[in-house]
Amino acid sequence: MALDPAVRKETGYIAVWVVLLSILMEAVFLLIGQWDLSVLLGNLGGAAVAVGNYFLLAVTVSRAIDKGQADQAAKQVRATASLRLVGVGAICALLVGVFKTNVYATLIPLLFPRIGLAFRPMVDRKRGIEPSGAEGSDLID
Amino acid sequence: MLELAMGIMLGLLGLGAGCAMIAGIGPGIGEGNAVAKACEAIGRQPECKSDVTSTMIMGCAIAETTGLYGLIVAILLIFVAPGSFTGILKEAIK
Repeated sequence: MALDPAVRKETGYIAVWVVLLSILMEAVFLLIGQWDLSVLLGNLGGAAVAVGNYFLLAVTVSRAIDKGQADQAAKQVRATASLRLVGVGAICALLVGVFKTNVYATLIPLLFPRIGLAFRPMVDRKRGIEPSGAEGSDLID
Repeated sequence: MLELAMGIMLGLLGLGAGCAMIAGIGPGIGEGNAVAKACEAIGRQPECKSDVTSTMIMGCAIAETTGLYGLIVAILLIFVAPGSFTGILKEAIK
């Protein structure tokens, strides 16, 4: 099944932010003299989980909207939200507990997509695009 | 005595981690409601589908973050806190 262009666009945007902020985090670990291989592995694992979680979220939302039935869409999104959270928790616990990656380097990248989304209106304005959600009032009418 | 104190402390840390995961329930419910309303909006105005989908994905990601905060707290309570609390307890008893 072909991916919705919105899914590709949004996931790409988030992936760029996760990569940029991961580089920044590695630099901070280097500066404070705490860098080692476990930090790098934790960062790679955490970043992959963060982007993967966002991609799965985008695919779920896109497919639920394609179905067009409100009740079924709500149930589908509710079920997969819990599953995704359990999956993210299990992978992070596996990385930290079994592969002994740095806890902070593994967990901090999970918050990078949120930081990217916080800057989204600013990036859209710079590109000359109307920020997402600004046309919401038209939808209500 | 030290063993008992550590047992109680580790049990409470596990309980705290479990309580932190309650935060994971809310985002799912909220996302579900938001997507249901988005479906209704697209049903009324099908030409807005791409805009609604983009906005929905962003909104759901923001809602999802609250669940991730709980998850991070739970993982820290399980993997980081026992070591540091055990050290504090040993120091206090010495």
